[in-house]
Amino acid sequence: MEPIGIFILAMLCQVYSCAANVSDSVERMQYASVAGEEYLQGDKLETNLDDKVYFDFDKSALDAEDKNLLEQYLPEIKKAKIVRLEGHCDERGTREYNLALGERRALEVRDFLVVKGVSGKKIRVVSFGEEKPLKSASNEKAWAENRRVEISLY
Amino acid sequence: MNKVLTSLNTFFLILLFLSLIFSMFSFPKLNIDETQSIKVNFYELIQQNDILFDPPAANTLIKKEAKKTSAINEKTNADETSIISKFKINKLDIKNEITKIKLSKEREDILRVSAIIQQRISSIWIKPNSLSESLIAKVLINLAPSGEILNFSLIEPSSNTSFNESILTAMNKMTFFEEVLSLERKLFEKNFRNFNLVFKSSGEIE
Amino acid sequence: MIRFLSILFILVSNTIFSILEIEILKGSDNLSKVAFVPFGNESGIEENYGSQISKNIEKNMLLFGEFENLAVNEMLSYPSSENDFYYRDWKVLGVDYSVIGKVNSVNALGNLNISYSLFNINRRIKILEGEIVGSEDNIEDISKIISNRIYEQITGLRGIFDTKLAYVINSDADTYQMCISDIDGKNEQILFTSKAPIMSPDWSPDRKKIAYVSFENGLAEIFIQDLQSGERDSIQALGMTNSAPVWSPDGKSLALVVSFSGNPDIFLYSIRNKRLVRLTNHYGIDTEPSWSPDSKKIIFTSDRSGSPQLYEISTKSKRKKRLTRDGNYNARGRYFPDGKSIFFVHGNNGNFQIAIKKLSSRYIETLTSTSLDESPTISPNGNIIIYATKDGSNGYLGGITLDGKARFSLPVKNGSVREPAWSPLLN
Repeated sequence: MEPIGIFILAMLCQVYSCAANVSDSVERMQYASVAGEEYLQGDKLETNLDDKVYFDFDKSALDAEDKNLLEQYLPEIKKAKIVRLEGHCDERGTREYNLALGERRALEVRDFLVVKGVSGKKIRVVSFGEEKPLKSASNEKAWAENRRVEISLY
Repeated sequence: MNKVLTSLNTFFLILLFLSLIFSMFSFPKLNIDETQSIKVNFYELIQQNDILFDPPAANTLIKKEAKKTSAINEKTNADETSIISKFKINKLDIKNEITKIKLSKEREDILRVSAIIQQRISSIWIKPNSLSESLIAKVLINLAPSGEILNFSLIEPSSNTSFNESILTAMNKMTFFEEVLSLERKLFEKNFRNFNLVFKSSGEIE
Repeated sequence: MIRFLSILFILVSNTIFSILEIEILKGSDNLSKVAFVPFGNESGIEENYGSQISKNIEKNMLLFGEFENLAVNEMLSYPSSENDFYYRDWKVLGVDYSVIGKVNSVNALGNLNISYSLFNINRRIKILEGEIVGSEDNIEDISKIISNRIYEQITGLRGIFDTKLAYVINSDADTYQMCISDIDGKNEQILFTSKAPIMSPDWSPDRKKIAYVSFENGLAEIFIQDLQSGERDSIQALGMTNSAPVWSPDGKSLALVVSFSGNPDIFLYSIRNKRLVRLTNHYGIDTEPSWSPDSKKIIFTSDRSGSPQLYEISTKSKRKKRLTRDGNYNARGRYFPDGKSIFFVHGNNGNFQIAIKKLSSRYIETLTSTSLDESPTISPNGNIIIYATKDGSNGYLGGITLDGKARFSLPVKNGSVREPAWSPLLN
C-alpha cells in the first residue's frame, strides 16, 4: 500500500505545482519609471569620434571594429553624465520586430560598456526600429547605414 | 498367394521408383511452364514499349528456341532467334493485342474528348473564393448525339451556395459539346450520353 | 500571382457500370461582367439621383478589381424596372449580372425611395430585389448599402463597402499623422499629428477606438484614442518599450509587447482594471501578437529559433506551437477571419512579401511580388488583403484578392502611407 500512497502524494504535488505555476504567471509588476525627456535637455558633449556602430541584417552582435570604436569612447563616456544609445534598423522586415531588434542592438552596446566598467545607471536605451532611417533609399548601402546604434553623451 | 503379393509389391515398388524418376524428369517441364509465364511478361514489356527485359529470362527463352530451331537451321544466330521469338510471341497473342490496341484507341478518344470538355468548362467557370473549405459538387449531364446538352442537374450539391450557383451559372453558359461528334456512335452512347462533371475546390489558392 | 500549372485530372472509369466522370479543378481567370444600368427617376423628380446612385454602386463594386463592368454606351437598353428587362439584350453582350433600379419618389423632407434588382443573365433569373429609403444627403451611404447587398448576392461573402481603413502618413521627415478614411479613400480624418514616429494602429472591435504606438515622449508608448471625442489615453509606460497593441475580439483587453530591461515579451492588458498578465517569457524577441478569432490563441513572432518565425500560444494553457519553418524570416502573423489560415510577411532571398499558410498545411504561398511588402491587413470578409509597399522612397498601399485574380493599389496620398489597418464590420 505504501508505494501507492507515495505515488498519489507525488501526483498531488504535481497538480499543486502546476496550479502554483499558473497563479504565479499573473505577475504584479514593478514598473521602473522611464522619463523620456531628462537626457534630451542637458548639453550634448561633442566628441571627435564616430558616433555610430553598425550591424548586419537581423543581427545585434558587435564585431571587432565596433568594439574597437567603443573602447575609444570609454574615456569620454566616463566623463559624461548620461549616455544615450539609440537603436535603429533598416526598412526590411516588419516594423514591430524591427523595434525590438533596434532595442536589442542598443542593449548589446550597453552590455559591452557595462562590462568595460561604465555604470549602467547612466545609460539610457531607446529604439526607433525602422522609423527613423538616415538614408531613405532602398539599396544595400542605405540599409547598411541605417542599421546602427547612435551614441550621444550628455 | 504369397508369391503374388511379393510380385505385386515389387511391381508397386518399381512403379514408385519410376514415378520418382519421372517426377525428376518432369522438372524441365515445369521449366517450360516458367518460360511460358516469362512470355506473358515479355509481351507486356513490349506493350509498355519497354524493350529492356530481364537478360537471364531472355537467355532461357533463346536457349529453348535454339533447341527447336537448330533442327531446321543450325546457322541461326542468337539475334535472329530473338526476333523470331518475339514474332512468335506476338503471333500467339495477336488477337489479344488487337483488342488491346482497339481498347487503347477508344480510351484515347474518350480522354481527348474529356480533356476538351474539361477545358471548355474551366474557361467559363468563375470559381468563387472558397479558401476556407474544400468543396465538391457533381453535375449529371445528358447529351444528344449532336452534342447538344439536353439536360443537366446538380445531383450532388456542395455545402456552399455560391459555389453551387457558380456551377449552375457556368453550365447555363454551355449549350453544346460538339466535340462528341468525332466519336463513334457506340462510344458516345457508352460514355457521353450521360456523364458526370465533378467540380472541385481544393480550398487553396490555385 | 504565380499560378500553379493546373494539373487537370481526368478520371475515365473502365468498368462497365460506372459512369464517366470528368473533374473540373480550375476555374476561369475571367471576372464576372456586371452591367450597372443607370438608375431611372420617376417622372417629376428633377435632380438625377438615379444615375448618381448607380455610378456610386459601380465605383464601389469595381474598387478591388473583383468584377468587370459594361460601359453605359455599349448597353442596348436602359431598363429601370423588371417589365422592360430582356435577358437577351445582356446575354449577347456577354454580361453575367445586371443591376437596375429606380428612384420612385422624393418626399418633402428630401427622403428618397429607391428600388433595385439584380439579375443573373446566364440563369435567366432575378436573384435580388430590394427597396431602400434614405436622405438625399446620404446618397453615398445608400449606395454603399445597395453595393453590399449586390456583392453579397453575387459572391456569397459579406459586403465591405462601409468599412474603414486606418493608416499612418509620413509626409516629411518630421511629420507623422494617424489617419482614418472610408475604404475607398474618401472622408479622410486626421486623428493625431506628431513630430515623432507613430506605429501599429489597430481598431477596437466596436470601431469606436484605435490603439497605436507613439514616440511623442521619446519612447514607444501605447495610446488608445476615442474616435468620437478624440480623447487620447496612454497606457502608462510600463517598461522600456511598449508596442504592438492589438484588441481582443471581445474588446476588453489588448495583447501587447512590453520590454523590461530590453527583453520584449507578450502580455495581456485588461483595459478596465489596467492589469498586465505575462504570456511569454523568453530571452529572445517575442513581438507582433494577434488574436485568433475565437480568442483562444495568440500568434506572435519570436526569434527564439535564431530567426524570426511565427508561433501560436494558447491564452489558457500557454502551450506554444511553432507555425512556420520555411526560410529565415516569417513575421507579423495574423489569422484569417475563419481562423483556419494565417497571413504574414515572408522574407525570401532579400525580398519581403505577403504570404499565407493554411494551418492544416505544411506549405506557404507567397501572394505579392514586390520586394518590400509589409503590414498586411485583411478585409473582414477574408477576401482581400491590403498591404504597405514602396515605390522608390514613397510608401503606398497595394491590395490583392485572395482568388489571385485582382491586384490594385489605393489612391496615392500626400506623403508616404504605411501600416494599413482594416476596420471590422459594423454590426
